[in-house]
Amino acid sequence: MTTAVATPAVPATHHARRKARVSKGRVTVNVVMVAMILYFLMPFWWLVVAATKNNDALFSTAALWFHSPGSIVDNLRQLFTYNDGEYLRWMGNTVVYAGVSGVGATAVATFAGYAFAKYRFPGRNLLFSSLLGAIMVPATALAIPTYLLLSKVALTDTMWAVILPSLLNPFGVYLVRVYVQDSLPDELLEAARVDGAGELRVLFNVALPTLKPALVTVLLFSMVGTWNNFFLPLVMLNNDKLFPLTVGLQSWYAGAMVQSGANALFTLVVVGSLVAILPLILAFLLLQRYWRGGLTVGSLK
Amino acid sequence: MSLLRQGSAAAAAAAPPDTPVRRGRGTVTAGRSAGPRTGRRSSRTRHQLMGLFLITPFTLLFLAFLVAPLGYAFWLSLRTSTLVGGDHFSWFANYQQAFTDHQFLSGLARVALFGVVQIPLMLGLALLGALLIDEVGSRLAKVFRMTLFMPYAVPAVIGALMWGFLYSPTFGPVQSLTHALGLGSVDLLSHSLMLTSLGNIVTWQWTGYNMIVLYAALQGLPREVYEAAKLDGAGPVQTALRIKIPMVSSALVLTLMFTIIGTLQFFTEPRVLRPIASSVITPDYTPNLYAYNLAFQYSEFNYSAAISFALGAVVFVGSYLFLFAARRRSGLK
Amino acid sequence: MSASRKLPSVRRVATAVVSAAVATTLLAACGGGSGGGSGSGAAGNGPVHIKVWAWYPQFKQVVAQFNKTHKDVQVDWVQAGVGQDEYTKLKTALKAGQGAPDVVMLEFQELPTIQLTKGLLDMSKYGADDDKGDYVDWAWKQVSDGDHVYAIPVDAGPMAMLYRADLFKKYGLKIPTTWAEYKAEAVKLHKADPNAYMTDFGSDETAAGWLQGLQWQAGSKPYDYSASKLPDIGVKLDDAGAKQVYDYWGDLVKNKLVDTASYATTDFYNGLSSGKYATYLAAGWGPGYLSSVAKKTAGKWRAAPLPQWTAGGNAQGDWGGSAFSVTSKTQHPKEATEVARELFGTSQAAWKIGIDQAYLFPTVNSVLNGAYFQDKKYAFFGGQQVNKVFVPAANGIGTFDWSPFQDFAYNTQTTEVGKAIQGQTPWSSVAGNVQQQVTSYASKQGFKVSK
Repeated sequence: MTTAVATPAVPATHHARRKARVSKGRVTVNVVMVAMILYFLMPFWWLVVAATKNNDALFSTAALWFHSPGSIVDNLRQLFTYNDGEYLRWMGNTVVYAGVSGVGATAVATFAGYAFAKYRFPGRNLLFSSLLGAIMVPATALAIPTYLLLSKVALTDTMWAVILPSLLNPFGVYLVRVYVQDSLPDELLEAARVDGAGELRVLFNVALPTLKPALVTVLLFSMVGTWNNFFLPLVMLNNDKLFPLTVGLQSWYAGAMVQSGANALFTLVVVGSLVAILPLILAFLLLQRYWRGGLTVGSLK
Repeated sequence: MSLLRQGSAAAAAAAPPDTPVRRGRGTVTAGRSAGPRTGRRSSRTRHQLMGLFLITPFTLLFLAFLVAPLGYAFWLSLRTSTLVGGDHFSWFANYQQAFTDHQFLSGLARVALFGVVQIPLMLGLALLGALLIDEVGSRLAKVFRMTLFMPYAVPAVIGALMWGFLYSPTFGPVQSLTHALGLGSVDLLSHSLMLTSLGNIVTWQWTGYNMIVLYAALQGLPREVYEAAKLDGAGPVQTALRIKIPMVSSALVLTLMFTIIGTLQFFTEPRVLRPIASSVITPDYTPNLYAYNLAFQYSEFNYSAAISFALGAVVFVGSYLFLFAARRRSGLK
Repeated sequence: MSASRKLPSVRRVATAVVSAAVATTLLAACGGGSGGGSGSGAAGNGPVHIKVWAWYPQFKQVVAQFNKTHKDVQVDWVQAGVGQDEYTKLKTALKAGQGAPDVVMLEFQELPTIQLTKGLLDMSKYGADDDKGDYVDWAWKQVSDGDHVYAIPVDAGPMAMLYRADLFKKYGLKIPTTWAEYKAEAVKLHKADPNAYMTDFGSDETAAGWLQGLQWQAGSKPYDYSASKLPDIGVKLDDAGAKQVYDYWGDLVKNKLVDTASYATTDFYNGLSSGKYATYLAAGWGPGYLSSVAKKTAGKWRAAPLPQWTAGGNAQGDWGGSAFSVTSKTQHPKEATEVARELFGTSQAAWKIGIDQAYLFPTVNSVLNGAYFQDKKYAFFGGQQVNKVFVPAANGIGTFDWSPFQDFAYNTQTTEVGKAIQGQTPWSSVAGNVQQQVTSYASKQGFKVSK
C-alpha cells in the first residue's frame, strides 16, 4: 500500500479511492487464499478419490479424478471385514488409548499446573525448570530404555505400555500453569478459603470451572497426540490385537510393499487412512470454537 | 515431525501474547518469577502438603517415564558393546566417536540445511495466513483457516504415506503438474529433490497449526491499537508490519523455537518414506533416524544411546543460543 | 469473543465426546486384558500354548489346521509385523529378556544375525535333525550350522523369469536364455517402444535380496561364516560374481534399457500391470504376488528359466525364503520345536493352503516333487504349469552363507547402488566400496575378517 495519505481534504473522494484500493487488495488476498486452500486440500481430495478405486484403478487411472466410485462400498466392506475385522479392533484400541490417555493426561496436567501456579512446595523450581528440557529429548532416545524398564515389570505388549507414558504431558502442565496465573487471581481463591472452603474444594469448585477452556484444549490436544502416535505403540506392542490404527495401517502397508504372501492391500491402506482421519477432522471442526477459545483465552483473560 | 511437538506451540499461544507490551516481560520467563504468595492464614505446612499432593501424579510419571529412562539410556551410552566380544564400561568413548562420526555429522548438517530453508518458509506462510484471517473475516477466511489446519489432524504416518503416493513418478498428480508446466519428468524421490519433497510434507502438515497459534496470539491483541493506527492513515500492510508482527513476537519466537527443536529431531517423515526410497534416504539420513537404525536394526544399543544424547546436547545448546539471541534482539529481558 | 455465547452447546458436544470415550474405554478395558494374555503359559493339565510370530495372512488357516490335528500343543498366532518390523521387535524383546515368542518366522538371511545374539534355540537337541532328509539339501544348509539346527525351512525363492508373452509377440522378441541375449532383447524392446523397459532394476532395500540372488547365480560367495568358528569370518563382497552382476546391470541402467523404480513403490506395481515392463525376474513366490498386483494382465504372463551367464549353463539363485525358529527364551522348547517342525512339515493339508492361498514355494521334498505342486496349472499364466520352471531351478541352487550383520551389509549395498544410479560414483567402484565398508564394520564389531 502507498504510504501515508495526508489528512483527507475531500473525504468523499478519498473514501472512494480507498475503497477501490481495498477491493483490489481484497482480490489479491482472495486469490492467495484460494491458491493455498487448493494446495492444502489436494492430498485430501486425492485420498477421497483414491478410496473409491479398486487396486487396479488405483495404479492406472488419473490420480485426481474418480474412476469407479462404486468401488467405495466394496472397499469399505473389505476394510471392516478383512482378517476378522481387525481394522475395527484397531479403531477400538485407538479410541481407548486416546480416551484414557487424554483424560488421564488432562487430570495430571491440571493438578500439576495448578500446583505450580498456586502452591509452594519443595522441589518446585527444579521440577518446573526441567519441563522445558523434557521436550528436547528425542522420542527415539526414550524408546529403548522405556521398553526395557517396562519389560522388567512385565508391562510391555499390554495396553498400559501405550497409556502410561502418554499420561506425561509437559506442555499440558505448562499451558495450565500459564492459564491459572493469568485467569485465576489469588484473591478469588483467598475469598473461598476465608469462606471456609478446604483446598480441594477451592480447586474443584472455584478453580476448575474457570479453567474449563484450558482443560478442553489440553484434553483435545493430548487425545490427538495419542491418536496420532506411531512410534511409541510400534515399539511397545508386539501383539497385533493391541495395535492402534497408525501401527496397524503401517503393517498393512508394509505387507503390501514386501513382495510376498500375495496380498496387495493398497486399497485397504487408502480407505483405512481415510476412515482413520475422519473422526479427528470432525472433532476439530465441531469443537473448533471451543478449542480456539482455549488457545486464545490465555490472552483475553 | 517429532512426536513431542504435538501440542508444543499450544503452550506458546496460551502464553499471553501481549505480555511484553503490558508487562514488559516475555512469556519465556513466565515460569521463573511468578510465584504464589504463601498462604498467610492457612498453615504453611498444610499448604505445602496440598501442593505436594497435587504434584505427585505428575512427579511420579516424570520420574518413571522421563528421568528413569534417561538415566538408563545415559548409563547405556557409557558402555561399549560389539557383536562379538560383549560389552564393557568405556566412559565417554562413544561420545568421542559420535562427534567424529561422519554419518552423525552429515545427518546433522542435512537437517540444518533443511531447517534453514524450510522453517522460514513454513513460518512465513503461517504468519501470512494468520495476518490474512485476522484482517479478513470473510467466509472464505473461515474455510481457509480450517483447511490449513486439517493436516494437523492427520497422523504423520498417514500423511507421509499419502505424499508417497502423490510423489509417484508415473501416476502422481505432482507429476502431471510438472508435465503441464513443461518441466518434463521430475523424480521427486531422487537424491537431489528428496529434501524438498520432505520439506513439502512438513510444511503441509504444520503450517496450519502454527498459523492457528499465531492467529490466536493476534486475536488477543487490543483492537484499540489498530483503530489508532487506522486513524493515522496506516493501511493493513503497514499495520501488520509495524504493529501486529512486533506485538506477537514472543509467540513467534516460541513457535520458531519449537520448530527448530522438531527439525533437529526430524524422524517420522524420512522413516515412513524410507521404504520407497531406501537408496536415497540412507539409514543415517537424519541423526534421529541414525540412532533409531543403530538400535533397532544393528542392535547397537549403546552407541545409539550415545548418538541420542549427543543430538540432545546439540538441541539443548542450539535452542538456548537461539533463545538468548532472540531475547536480545527483541529487547525482551 | 462471540464464542462465549455458543459455548454451552459446544460444551455439551465436548462432554458427550469425552464421556463416550470413557465409556468405550471402560468397556474395552475389560475385553482388552484377555487379548494381551501371555500365550506360552501352560495352565494345569491343559494343552501347552505356543506363541508363534508370522506375517502371512493365510497363516490363520494353517494354524487352525495344526490346532485341529494336535491335542497337547496349541498354537497362538500373532502378527507382530512384516519382515524388518518383526525382526526389530524380536531383537528388542530378546534384549529385554521378556516378550519374545516361542516360535518365530524368519527369512533365511536373518538367521545368523539373530543366532549371534544367542536368540535361537539349537533344535537338534529336540530331534529336529531327524527332518534333515525331508528337505531340499541347500535349504537345510540355510537353517543349520553343522549339527546345529536353528530353524525348520518353510518356503524358498528360486528365481526364474516371468515375461509378458503378448508383448514378446508384439515386438518380435525371443525368449532370452543368456544374459547377453537378455540385453539384446532389451535394446530391441526399448527401441520399438521408448516407454517400455525389459524390466525394473530395483534400487531399494527390498531389492537387495533380489540383487543378491542374481549374484548368487553368478557364483558369488560373499561370506564364509559359521557360528562355531567365531570370531572368524570371510567377507568377499567384491568377488568376480558380484562384480559381474554390478557391471551388467550398471550397463543396462546407464543405457536406460531398464527402469530404476524402487521395488517397494506403487510405480513398480503399476509397471507390472501396465505393460511398461516386459519381464519380471521373480522368485518362486513371485507368481502369486504378480497375480495379485496385476490382476488385469491375467493370461498374458508366462514363466521361463533365468537367463544364464554361459550358454547351456544351469546356475540358479535364490531370493527370499523363510523358516520357523524356536527362540532361546521359550519355556517349552520341546513343544515349540514340535510346532516349528509340524506347522507345515510334511503335512499335505497345510501345504495345500500354503500353495493355493499363500503361494509359498515348498522346500520339503515330498511336496516340492509331488504331483499336486508340479502339475498345478495357473490361469494367470494362461494355464502354464509354472512350477515346472521353478522346481528345476530350486533343485539347481548351490550352498550359500549369510553374514551375522546382514542388515548392515544390505543397507550398505543399497546405499552404494543408489549412488551409482544417481551417477555419483561409477558402477565399477560399487563392489569395492561395499566390501570396504562392510569389512571395516565387521572388524569394529570384533570379527576377525579374512578377505
